[in-house]
Amino acid sequence: MTLVVVRIRNIEGNRHGCFAGGGKPMTYPLGWPVITQSLMRRERWPGGYNSRGVPLVRPGQEVQADQAVMILEKPDIAEAVTAFPHVVTPSASYAGLSPGGEGTQIDGRYMQETVLAGMRGQVVDITRRGGVMIETRAAVIQGVIGAGNQVAGTLTFWNAGSSFPLPGNQPAEAGVILVIPGPLNYATLRQAAGAGIVGVVASSISSRDLEDFLGANVMALINSNDVERAQAHLPPMSLLFTEGLGTIAMPARTINLLRRYHGSIALISGVTSIRRSIFPELVISLVASEVQQNWLPIQPDPTLTIVSRVRICSGSHVGVTGEINYFFTHQQSFESNVRARAAHLCLEDGSRLVIPLAIIERIG
Amino acid sequence: MYTETYLGGGQSPASSKTPASASSILVADCGTVSTKVSLLGLVEGQYRLMARGEAPTTTAAPYQDITKGIIQAISEIEFITGRHFVSNGSLISPEQPTGDGADLFVATVSAGGPMRLIVLGAVTSKLEELAAQAVSGLYAETYALPAPSYLATSTPAPLPVGASAMASAGGGVQGRWTPERLDMEWERQLERIRELQPQAALIVGQADSAPGPTPLQEACQMIINTVEDPSDGSAPTAQGNAGKRQLPVLYAGAPQYVEAVRRMLDGYAEVTRVDTLVSHEQLGQTSMAATALYERDVIQRIPGYDHMRSWSGAAPIATPSSLSSLVRFLAQHYAMNVTAIDIGGTTTTVMMAGEHGEFIPLVNTGIGMGPNLGAILEKAGPRRVARWLPFRITDDELRQHVLNRMLHPQAIPTSLRDLQISQAFARGAIVLTVEAAKQHHFNEFDADLILATGGVLAHAPKFGQAALILLDALQPRGVTSMVLDRTMLISQLGAVATVAPIAAVQVNENDAVMHRLGTCVIPYGELPPGQVAIRVGVEYSNGRQVTAEVMSGSIEIIPLRINEQALLTLYPAPTVDVGLGPGERARAAEEVDGGLVGLIVDARGRPLVFPTDETERYARLLQWMQVIGA
Repeated sequence: MTLVVVRIRNIEGNRHGCFAGGGKPMTYPLGWPVITQSLMRRERWPGGYNSRGVPLVRPGQEVQADQAVMILEKPDIAEAVTAFPHVVTPSASYAGLSPGGEGTQIDGRYMQETVLAGMRGQVVDITRRGGVMIETRAAVIQGVIGAGNQVAGTLTFWNAGSSFPLPGNQPAEAGVILVIPGPLNYATLRQAAGAGIVGVVASSISSRDLEDFLGANVMALINSNDVERAQAHLPPMSLLFTEGLGTIAMPARTINLLRRYHGSIALISGVTSIRRSIFPELVISLVASEVQQNWLPIQPDPTLTIVSRVRICSGSHVGVTGEINYFFTHQQSFESNVRARAAHLCLEDGSRLVIPLAIIERIG
Repeated sequence: MYTETYLGGGQSPASSKTPASASSILVADCGTVSTKVSLLGLVEGQYRLMARGEAPTTTAAPYQDITKGIIQAISEIEFITGRHFVSNGSLISPEQPTGDGADLFVATVSAGGPMRLIVLGAVTSKLEELAAQAVSGLYAETYALPAPSYLATSTPAPLPVGASAMASAGGGVQGRWTPERLDMEWERQLERIRELQPQAALIVGQADSAPGPTPLQEACQMIINTVEDPSDGSAPTAQGNAGKRQLPVLYAGAPQYVEAVRRMLDGYAEVTRVDTLVSHEQLGQTSMAATALYERDVIQRIPGYDHMRSWSGAAPIATPSSLSSLVRFLAQHYAMNVTAIDIGGTTTTVMMAGEHGEFIPLVNTGIGMGPNLGAILEKAGPRRVARWLPFRITDDELRQHVLNRMLHPQAIPTSLRDLQISQAFARGAIVLTVEAAKQHHFNEFDADLILATGGVLAHAPKFGQAALILLDALQPRGVTSMVLDRTMLISQLGAVATVAPIAAVQVNENDAVMHRLGTCVIPYGELPPGQVAIRVGVEYSNGRQVTAEVMSGSIEIIPLRINEQALLTLYPAPTVDVGLGPGERARAAEEVDGGLVGLIVDARGRPLVFPTDETERYARLLQWMQVIGA
């Protein structure tokens, strides 16, 4: 008995049997971790277990990224956090830092905190819990993994050897979101947390270093149903890793984008929930000069075509980027002997690689 | 175990198409991680699998439309066949004279994730087990939250720990339910519900326990608090309470209080009464009601559902429902015990159907090879996973592998090491699911046929690898045969049968179960160490005879290829059993079929025991792999 598969040559295939640009779409993994122009709506909600928001703005109002949009009332963290599974490590507490963040204590149980918009745009709604929904034109970077609630801060590049920038002292002033354009380790994270940094964007980290810093089981953290509860006991510094776990460099394209917005106020969220399909993201609202009259958002097209720029997201070449220049008509065999649909990539260093479609994602 | 007669599927046939005249059918299986689409068509008067395509499922942001993934998978079929099936984002139907389009579209869905069902009221351990069993054939998870007043009368108070212990040190009495302790239990349960974010509730329990109807009142209050909880940021205040959803509630408690419960929950929950849950024999109604809730509150809420629904006369159905139809059909049609295994990205399913209508489904919603890979490591532990690997691996490497796979569930293993780690986890998934199924009397079942599917098995590069995974993890005994569904179609054929039963039967026989791995002889009992465990006499159809002696602790393959048949005579050692008792010889009443691996004699013993020495274990694993062609 044989499998009957009718193979008729596709009229849109070129002489190599691959698709021409703009031809029929191929199987694609989800991708587009970097979008330079996007029109999006995000709820400004800094998280907080049993917290409630008191909005300071109303729907229809234009807001600036450094504008206070909400008073967050949250319970004392010691009462709020109870049962999320976490491992106890020496790093679970931070000298001089309260997991509840800075704020004013009211009636002995609630802390008040002023929340900046972090985005420039228009308020379109107020959510049931008091979150402020803002529509913004922004550049967006999606991370592979992260941790920590949404927080606004000033994007600040950090170079190895330099000291950590200190956050502003005014209550309403944005903190610092540190951009470290490479792999991160536990020691650097500790230093950043000790310096009061509110967020860190880096390329990658080992799972052990991440768990040691968070004092949490990362598998449980990203698989939790209750996102708010999962973030509740984490150190008060949001993390976003653009490439994921391991020791993977940050692509030049991402570094360039981040460098371009050095000094801008951005909104970082490290929340990662594979159950809820929530991934960390950095939203950088575009300034007025970038949003001209004919400005159009980029519609991310996930279709893989010839000349698509892609990133390898698994295996020994993880993190490598390149351009598709060939689709194989037949499945290809790999070192594992697994057979899969594949593409031929031209990498940035000029070398070439045959790679399964299932482990590449489109980045441009 | 409960008995259910196969009724040919659980859904009425499609109305808008004429199944009898359908010459092409597109069948989509929308999983959590990937969407598979198969094209079935007529070839020389028989329905066959023509081509298949696969793409990532697109229910999550930024796409949030299940049809995008389906269309992408279809585009692969278009590439293979040169035909067009989609125009302007919609399906071309019926099939055109040019060959474009398809007559029917059928879909099975598991992409919405499991339905989270909280079990409230006077929940005893027996009722908790019954509730779990009632939904065991669904993508559903049950979480028991016994009413605080019921807990107070049936169990000692838990000892406080940590900060709460210090807080209660002044006034609390350890081991006794004080009002403060009850308040704490209320708070704990509300926190738990908030964490779970349930999609439905099941109220159980009679009113004959000490607290009377109070547990029912508390269950209702719990539901009201859940519905009123504002912590979900999705509903805007601008709409006031318009955003408040009603929680579907199945009432399986004391019959005399059903109206009181309805009154209490008026405006908060939509109450459906089902049979009072008291015994295994009364699970049917609860199970059916839960299935209806799943299809309405999970499947129909998947982004893009309405668009997908418009392509078909038949509503998409849950993948387990489809698989169960096929498994029960096979068991009755071939008069044999069938065990089906499906290892998916987020779930692992084991279904057993007997020739007399026995049926035990178990959908293990927390165990899978994609986003739920971490659960295997958590539940089995690194050592139980690593024991299947013929090389040294650190716990850190296993964790890193798991986390990367959770974050990139669509990835395939490109290196041999990665492949072997994935296959070790596949064994773990089956082992954990079978352990869970044993609570439902799984061990009463000896399968005549093991039918396996799911990405990790279907994509195994060698048939021997799939066979070894099944033998290692299921540890069957006696004589059985194994079939691998590389097309991953068996989970959809039950759904196909609802609209085109002939197509389902023909594709099943022609394509889905075409990869017969082989017949397996698995002696068990006390295998004499270092000696022959069993002698196997093989008489081929052409008259040739072979006798093989298989040593204890080893696997042997006797050549018996696809399309070959042979008569078997088994001579076990005096303490060894092949199903008729220790030392009893057996002769097959009819010829057994060959397979892609051959006739497998697995004399490693049951349960499998590994050498304690690491180096010896690696050598033994490599030896087994080499023999079976893994």
